[in-house]
Amino acid sequence: MNFLRGVMGGQSAGPQHTEAETIQKLCDRVASSTLLDDRRNAVRALKSLSKKYRLEVGIQAMEHLIHVLQTDRSDSEIIGYALDTLYNIISNDEEEEVDDVEGKRFEDLGSQFTEIFIKQQENVTLLLSLLEGKWRTSEFDFHVRWPGVKLLTSLLKQLGPQVQQIILVSPMGVSRLMDLLADSREVIRNDGVLLLQALTRSNGAIQKIVAFENAFERLLDIITEEGNSDGGIVVEDCLILLQNLLKNNNSNQNFFKEGSYIQRMKPWFEVGDENSGWSAQKVTNLHLMLQLVRVLVSPTNPPGATSSCQKAMFQCGLLQQLCTILMATGVPADILTETINTVSEVIRGCQVNQDYFASVNAPSNPPRPAIVVLLMSMVNERQPFVLRCAVLYCFQCFLYKNQKGQGEIVSTLLPSTIDAMGNSVSAGQLLCGGLFSTDSLSNWCAAVALAHALQENATQKEQLLRVQLATNIGNPPVSLLQQCTNILSQGDKINRRGSKIQTRVGLLMLLCTWLSNCPIAVTHFLHNSANVPFLTGQIAENLGEEEQLVQGLCALLLGISIYFNDNSLESYMKEKLKQLIEKRIGKENFIEKLGFISKHELYSRASQKPQPNFPSPEYMIFDHEFTKLVKELEGVITKAIYKSSEEDKKEEEVKKTLEQHDSIVTHYKNMIREQDLQLEELKQQVSTLKCQNEQLQTAVTQQVSQIQQHKDQYNLLKVQLGKENQHHGSQSDGAQMNGIQPEEIGRLREEIEELKSKQELLQSQLAEKDSLIENLVSELLQPSASAGDSEKVAELKEELATLKSQLNSQSVEITKLQTEKQELLQKTEAFAKSVPVQGEGETPAAANSTDVEGRLSALLQETKELKNEIKALSEERTAIKEQLDSSNSTIAILQNEKDKLELEITDSKKEQDDLLVLLADQDQKILSLKNKLKDLGHPVEEEDELESGDQEDEDDETEDGGKDQDQGYL
Amino acid sequence: MAYAYLFKYIIIGDTGVGKSCLLLQFTDKRFQPVHDLTIGVEFGARMITIDGKQIKLQIWDTAGQESFRSITRSYYRGAAGALLVYDITRRDTFNHLTTWLEDARQHSNSNMVIMLIGNKSDLESRREVKKEEGEAFAREHGLIFMETSAKTASNVEEAFINTAKEIYEKIQEGVFDINNEANGIKIGPQHGATNATHAGNQGGQQAGGGCC
Ligand SMILES: Nc1nc2c(ncn2[C@@H]2O[C@H](COP(=O)(O)OP(=O)(O)OP(=O)(O)O)[C@@H](O)[C@H]2O)c(=O)[nH]1
Ligand SMILES: [Mg+2]
Repeated sequence: MNFLRGVMGGQSAGPQHTEAETIQKLCDRVASSTLLDDRRNAVRALKSLSKKYRLEVGIQAMEHLIHVLQTDRSDSEIIGYALDTLYNIISNDEEEEVDDVEGKRFEDLGSQFTEIFIKQQENVTLLLSLLEGKWRTSEFDFHVRWPGVKLLTSLLKQLGPQVQQIILVSPMGVSRLMDLLADSREVIRNDGVLLLQALTRSNGAIQKIVAFENAFERLLDIITEEGNSDGGIVVEDCLILLQNLLKNNNSNQNFFKEGSYIQRMKPWFEVGDENSGWSAQKVTNLHLMLQLVRVLVSPTNPPGATSSCQKAMFQCGLLQQLCTILMATGVPADILTETINTVSEVIRGCQVNQDYFASVNAPSNPPRPAIVVLLMSMVNERQPFVLRCAVLYCFQCFLYKNQKGQGEIVSTLLPSTIDAMGNSVSAGQLLCGGLFSTDSLSNWCAAVALAHALQENATQKEQLLRVQLATNIGNPPVSLLQQCTNILSQGDKINRRGSKIQTRVGLLMLLCTWLSNCPIAVTHFLHNSANVPFLTGQIAENLGEEEQLVQGLCALLLGISIYFNDNSLESYMKEKLKQLIEKRIGKENFIEKLGFISKHELYSRASQKPQPNFPSPEYMIFDHEFTKLVKELEGVITKAIYKSSEEDKKEEEVKKTLEQHDSIVTHYKNMIREQDLQLEELKQQVSTLKCQNEQLQTAVTQQVSQIQQHKDQYNLLKVQLGKENQHHGSQSDGAQMNGIQPEEIGRLREEIEELKSKQELLQSQLAEKDSLIENLVSELLQPSASAGDSEKVAELKEELATLKSQLNSQSVEITKLQTEKQELLQKTEAFAKSVPVQGEGETPAAANSTDVEGRLSALLQETKELKNEIKALSEERTAIKEQLDSSNSTIAILQNEKDKLELEITDSKKEQDDLLVLLADQDQKILSLKNKLKDLGHPVEEEDELESGDQEDEDDETEDGGKDQDQGYL
Repeated sequence: MAYAYLFKYIIIGDTGVGKSCLLLQFTDKRFQPVHDLTIGVEFGARMITIDGKQIKLQIWDTAGQESFRSITRSYYRGAAGALLVYDITRRDTFNHLTTWLEDARQHSNSNMVIMLIGNKSDLESRREVKKEEGEAFAREHGLIFMETSAKTASNVEEAFINTAKEIYEKIQEGVFDINNEANGIKIGPQHGATNATHAGNQGGQQAGGGCC
C-alpha cells in the first residue's frame, strides 16, 4: 500500500482532477444507490475508465466491486461488469506495448492489486462459486463465467502459489474448475484450459487432483477433436497443460500409463510424407507432442516407470511411428532433431526397443540401416549442431545397457566383417572416419560414440584392440589404439577446424573408458614405449589454464594404467609407474592435476543429464557417462597412488585367494547346472519312452484283434467250402475254381510263413531289448553311472523305435493278407453262385467230380492246417503282448530308479550347498582377518570392495535400474 | 487395455495405519517395513477379474496426516469405492473412524461403497481393538468389514476384490449411473463385446501395473 500511495502522490501530472472525482462519484453511486439500474450503470462506467485509469479505479473501486459480487448475484450484467473491471485492474495482459519502465510498474501494480484482492480469502472462494455452473443453460452464465475465468487466471498468473493454496483448501475448489473443460461454449473451454495451466503450474497436489478429475481424457479428446497436430492454438494450450500435469509427477505419469493414454498419443505422429502442411502452429504442436513423450520416458524418472512406458510405446506402435518420421523426407529440421531426441529416450536402456531401432532401415536404395544414416549426419560438418548432438544422443541411448548392440557396432570394425561388408559403408567406418577427420567436432562425437560402444563391456574393449587401420600406402597397418595415441601426441601438427582441446579431450575420454577395467588394453597401451613419457610430460609441464583439463585427463589415463595394471610388462609394473610419478611429477602434484577434471566448470553440467545438450560447440567438452567414470575412479586412483608396495602385494594376495574361492564356487555352480540339465534330459527321455510303449501296446492289441478276424473269416470260408461240397458234389466244371483256389491258398501260406519268420525275428529282438533293459537297470542301480544312463536310454529308445517300425510293417502285411483273403472269399462266393447255373446247363462229369472231391478234401485239410497256424500265430502275438507288458513295467521300474537317482542328485546338491556355506565361512574368516589387519592400522578398504564385489554385482544392477528393476516394477 | 469396467478407489484413514502398505501389497506384492509418510496422494493400479470380467482398479492412496485433509477431500467425489483403514494395535485410529466416515459421507457421492479395514492383524499380541468391535461398527454404519495384514498379505486381495464385487453388484442392480464418470466408474472400451475373446490375451496381465 505504501507503494501505491507513493505512485499516487507522484502522479500529479496523471489523470485530471475531474477524473479522480468522477471515479469517486461512481464509487459512491455503486455503494449507496438503491436502484439496481443505477448501480449497474455506475459499474459499467467504472469499467470503461478502468483501462485508462487503472490505478485510480483500482484503489478507489476495488472494495465496492467486491461488494457487488457478493450482493448483486441475481443480475448477471452487473456481475459481468464488475468482473471485467477487476480483470482490467489486475491483469497486465493489455499493457504489452508500454515501454519497459512503465511495463515494470504496471506489473507491480497487477501483483499489488492481486495481493489486496486475495488478502480476504473469501474473495477467491466467492469467485470460485461464481464460476460454478449453476446457471448452465442461460446467457447469464456466460456473462459471469467468461470474465470470471479470465480474472481468476490473472490472479493465478500474478501470485500463483498463494492463489493455488487458497483454491486447494477451499472445498472442491479444484474439482469445480475442472468442469470448465466440459463447457459447451468453446471460448470458455479454451480459456478454461489457460486457467488450468496457471492453476497447475508447479503444484503437484493440484496436478494430481486435476488428473483425478479425468483431465487426461478430456484433454486428449479435445486434441483429437481439433485434429491433432493440425489443430489450432487450443491444441497447443492442451499440450502445455498436459505437460504441466505430467512433468516430474510420477504419480500422474503412472496414472497416465495405467489409463492406456500412451496408446492415444500414437495418432499424433501419423503426419505422413506429404510436404504440404508444415504451418508454424503444426510445428509448435508437434514439438510439444514430442516433448510430452519425452516427459514420460525421461532418464531422470524412476527407472521402473520409464521402462514400463518405453514398453508400452513399443507395444502400441508409437516408437515405430516416430521412426517413420525419422526416415521421412521434408520434415523441418527442428522437428527432426526433436524426433531424434525423442526416439533416443524411448529406446534408452530398453532392449526390445533398441533391437527394434537396430532393425529400422532408411527407405534408400539399397536400404541402409537408420543407425548408419544418422551417423553420417553426426560426422558431417554441414549438418546443424543441434542435429549432430541429437544423433550422438540417439547413438548413446541405443548402446546404453545394450551389450548386443555394442558388439554389433564394434564388429563392423573387425577385419572379418569389413571384408564381408563389401562397398556399403558401416557404422564402424563412419566412426573411424569421424575420429580422424579434420573437424574437431566430428573427432569428439566419434570418440564419445565409440566410448559408448565399450561402456561396461570388457569383451568389446578387448575386441577393439584387434582393430587395425590402413595408413599411407606402403606403411604397415596401425592399431586403432596406437592411432589414437599418435594423434594425441602429434595433435598440434594437424590443422583442424574447431578447437584442438575438443579433439584431445575426446580422444582421452575414449582411451580412459577403453583402458578402465581392462588390463589387456592397459598392457597394449603401455607396450608402446612412447605413451608413458608423453603422459608424464604432459602432466609435469606447467601449462596455462587452457591445458589444465588435458593435464587432468592425462593424469587420469596414467592412473588407470596403474590401477588396472596386471604387472605383465616388466618395465611398466605398477610399482615402477608409481616411482615414475613420484620422481617426475610428484604425488601431490599428480593428485592436484587429477582433480582438475571434476573441478572444471562444465563438468557438473554434464554430470546432471545424459543428453549431450550444449549451447554451442565450444561447450562440447564432457560426456555424461565419462563423468560417472571420473566419479568412480578419482578416489581409488588417489588411494592407489598413495599406497605402499607392500600393501599392494597384500591386496594382490587377498585378491588371488578370493579369485580362487570364486573359481571353486563357479566350478560347483557349473557342475550343479550340468547335472540339472542331465536330469532334465533323462526325465524327458523316460516320458517319451513311456509314450512309445503305450503306442506299441495299442498296436499289438489291434493286431491281435485283426488276427481274430482272420480266424473268423477262415472259419466262415471253411463252412462255405463245406456247404459247396455237399450241394455240388458232382460239380463238373470246377476247373476254374480248382485252378484258382489252391494257388491263392499257396500264396497265403507263403505269406503266413513269412509273417511267422518275421515274428520270430521280432521275438528275438524283444528278447534283446529285454536284456538291454536289464543291463540298463543294473547300471542305473549304480548312481555314479548317470552319464552312461542317457546313452542306454537312447539305445533302448532306438530299439523300441525299430520294434515299432517292424510292428508297423507287419501290420501292413497283415492288411495285405486280409485284403487278399477278402478277394479269395469273394471269388469263392462268386464260384458258389456260378456253379448252380452251370450245373443246370451242362451234364456233370463223374470223373471230374471225384477229382474235385479229392481236391476239396485236400483243400479242407490245408485250411485246417492254416487254421492251426493262425491259432499258433495268435498265441505268439499274445506272448509278444505279454512281453511288451512286462517291458512296460520294466520301464516303470526304470523310471523309479531314475527318481531315486534324482533324489541322490538333490542330496549331492545339498552337499554342495554345505560346501558353499563352508566357503562363505572361509570368506567370513578372511573378512575378520582383514578387519584385524584394519585394527592393526592397515587401510584395507579397497580390499573390502574387491571382496564384496562379487556379491554386490547383482545389487548394483538393480541400483542402475537395469532389467531387474524393469521386472520389479511390472 | 481391454477392461469391462474401471473403478476408482480411495484409501483413507489415520496416518500410519498401513494404507500405503496395503496398496503396495495389492499392486506389487511387496511389504514396506519403514513408514514412508505419504505426501498428498499417490496413485496405483491393478487389473482384477470378477464374474469373468476384467476390471481395472485405479487407486488413490491418501495421506492420513491432518494437514493434508483439505487436499485429500478432493478425491471423495470421484471415487466409487473407499477403503477406510484403522490399525488394530492403536485404539485411537479406531476412535477416529466416526470423523472419517462423516467426512467421507459428506464429500462423496451417496453410492460410494465403503470397506472398513482393521489392518495389522499379524500383530495379535499388540491388539487393542477386538475384531468384534470392528464388526459391530461396520454393521452399525452399513459397511463391509475385514481384518487384513499388509505384512503377510492376509485378506489384502479380498479387501480390494470384495469392494469391487459390491460395486459390481450395485451396477447390476442399476444403482450406479455408470454413464456419469463422476461416480468413479467407467465402462471399458470393449464393453458388450464377447468377453471370452479378449479374456484370453489378458490372462497374463492381471497382476501388477501391466500396461494395456
Ligand atoms: N506389522 C505390520 N505392520 C504394518 C502393516 N501395515 C503397515 N505396517 C507398518 O506401519 C507403518 C505405516 O505404514 P504406511 O502404509 O506407510 O502408513 P499410511 O497409512 O500410509 O500412513 P500415511 O501415509 O502417513 O497416511 C509402516 O512402518 C509399515 O511397515 C501390517 O499389516 N502389519
Ligand atoms: Mg501412506
